[in-house]
Amino acid sequence: MSTATTEAAAVRTAGGTVTAVTGVGLAVPGARTPQELLAARPDGAAAVDPAARLGKKGLRYKDRATQLALCCADEALRDAGLLGDDGLTVPGESVAVLIASNYGNVDTVCAIVEMIAAEGTAGGLSPMDVPNASSNVIASTLAVKYGLRGPNLMLCNGPTSGLDAVRWAATLIRSGRADRALVLGVEPDNRAVRRLTGADRLVDGAAAVVVERLGCGPARGVAERALVGATARTAGVRACLDRLGADAPAVWFGPGDGTDPADGTPLPGVPRYDLTGEWGESSAALGVLQCAGAVGWFAAGGGGPVYAVAGRDGDDATAGLVLRAPDAVR
Amino acid sequence: MSRLPVTGVGAVASIGRDPGEIFAALCAGRDGRHPLRGFNRDWYNADCLYEVDDRPAPQTDTVGRATALLLDAVGQAARDAGLGDDLSDVPILVGTGLRELRSLELWWRDGRPFGAERMHFGTALRERFGALDTHTISNACSASLYALALAVNLLELQEADMVIVAGVDVITESMFGLSDRLQFDPPDRLRPFDRDRKGTVMGEGAGAIVLRRKAPADRGAVHGWVRGVAVNCDAFHATAPDPHGIAAAVRQAHDQAGVKAEDIGLVMLHGTGTQLNDAAEATALSDVYGPHIGSPLMTGMKSMTGHTSGASGVLGLLVALRAMGQGVVPPITGLDNPAAEVAGFRIVRDTPVEEQVDLAQIDAFGFGGINAVAVVEAGR
Repeated sequence: MSTATTEAAAVRTAGGTVTAVTGVGLAVPGARTPQELLAARPDGAAAVDPAARLGKKGLRYKDRATQLALCCADEALRDAGLLGDDGLTVPGESVAVLIASNYGNVDTVCAIVEMIAAEGTAGGLSPMDVPNASSNVIASTLAVKYGLRGPNLMLCNGPTSGLDAVRWAATLIRSGRADRALVLGVEPDNRAVRRLTGADRLVDGAAAVVVERLGCGPARGVAERALVGATARTAGVRACLDRLGADAPAVWFGPGDGTDPADGTPLPGVPRYDLTGEWGESSAALGVLQCAGAVGWFAAGGGGPVYAVAGRDGDDATAGLVLRAPDAVR
Repeated sequence: MSRLPVTGVGAVASIGRDPGEIFAALCAGRDGRHPLRGFNRDWYNADCLYEVDDRPAPQTDTVGRATALLLDAVGQAARDAGLGDDLSDVPILVGTGLRELRSLELWWRDGRPFGAERMHFGTALRERFGALDTHTISNACSASLYALALAVNLLELQEADMVIVAGVDVITESMFGLSDRLQFDPPDRLRPFDRDRKGTVMGEGAGAIVLRRKAPADRGAVHGWVRGVAVNCDAFHATAPDPHGIAAAVRQAHDQAGVKAEDIGLVMLHGTGTQLNDAAEATALSDVYGPHIGSPLMTGMKSMTGHTSGASGVLGLLVALRAMGQGVVPPITGLDNPAAEVAGFRIVRDTPVEEQVDLAQIDAFGFGGINAVAVVEAGR
């Protein structure tokens, strides 16, 4: 594959946008709406309480990441008009599920090996932990709960996972494998994850967007909130911003890496949101939080395009995504 | 309908260090069962797994084994396809059930050096091959065929001219411990579709293929063709499979490949040796194949490799391609008394069968009811 092919593909995607965001869900301490993601984190924001949001039923034996995902998915599916009081409003086969999480089952895995070593036997383990030991438990739990029978993907792909999930959602829709996708990123906060990441605070939350074939949302009476455009994957932030396009963004989400030595900023004059700095280390959830933030930006009257960038210069790759205002010329 | 050439293959498992060795072992009926190589044998009832023998010393475990197996398989496939060590322009999609969670365990419990950046395989693939478009897809036991489905989309949408699809897993102590907790009378070996099967036994391995959009001029370099891959989700149960979801995936794979059930000459069964999987798989196949259920040869490799989880799909695909290329289908071993649900199936047992096969179906099903089914065509 030549680089030219990649660039041609990126341009083609940008010119022929086929997917849009039609729903958003958040389970983030201190941010109830996409617009609130763009404000400062309130002091003393209370942790998300899944039982308060969904009731206790169905939460037993579910790990923290799965519980957060359930809150968030419910809100996103309802927001997109895909879930009513009688269940799904579209065929379950038409809905793909893409979950981004690096640390969702880290606590379960660490606790199990610790217990085996302490007791000198596996006899004390709980069989209820079997699903939680599998990294895809979040994706399959959501599928079972809502009857989502389309492609079901669990991406554990490092800091770019959230944006990678949005890209694969668009790919699944373009290829005809699904008409829409629930894309959700989630990371829990616990002792093992803090030690592993070195972060003093994880987001302990989830964000979801429903990505859908253009026109499907409006046909249900649901507005398109952002258009999903070109994607890029590069070595570092600078290269990613360069690849994303000719149009200077109105605003961008991402780390402050890739600064131009001449003026000390990656994109001179363009405001930047650092959601990890504000809401805590978000890892795989970051890209989806950024998409939700872009929806908040457009809802508040902001123009496009908006760039979302995840993966710092020291990471294995940087991923980028262009989001356009819903009224942008197609 | 597409017809995408496989131009490179690589694999490692408990029974061999490359696709040729693995295939020879399968045909010879040689399995990779061995007393626990890395775990404390005093802590568990079960004492046998199908592990790759790559540890520095018995009962001495090291971090990064899954990554090492993956790099080995990807390197083999790239060399086989004449690509060399620079894969900076090639997307690499990795299916895995357990990622580097074994290293996480050793880090947490034993204080071994390990970092968050190695939980996914992109870091090592960048270091070794310069790869930038890498994806760790954690889709349990159907992971590598799920990765293959995404690769087919990238090629069909002309977003890439070449993609490497891989699968890898090594056994985690948490998953082994849970299975040991559940299996009061642990199986001494994996016996798919046998009336007396006692459950699955985990295995280790990695497989990789180079898949292209267009056929190379040298047709001799084509190992076979990927015709279609279907993926779906039962949305039924966290761990138990649903025959309806499996049957839907098989039908969809045949549709995508533009073939009928009676055209398929070989089925690489998922065949994990659990009561639930084997019954659900047999029921689904009977439903889809109907009167043609006795037509294709059926086999599987898990009786000799153990259940290699995320690697299992791509390893099955490699075996199917080689079986079609050589006109020899390896057997399932230890299948002494076939279960009632496979009555009428043409399962290859005990010794290889020589037969020319043109089209093969590969099954891979995972926890959470995630199903992936591929159809491949012989390289001839």
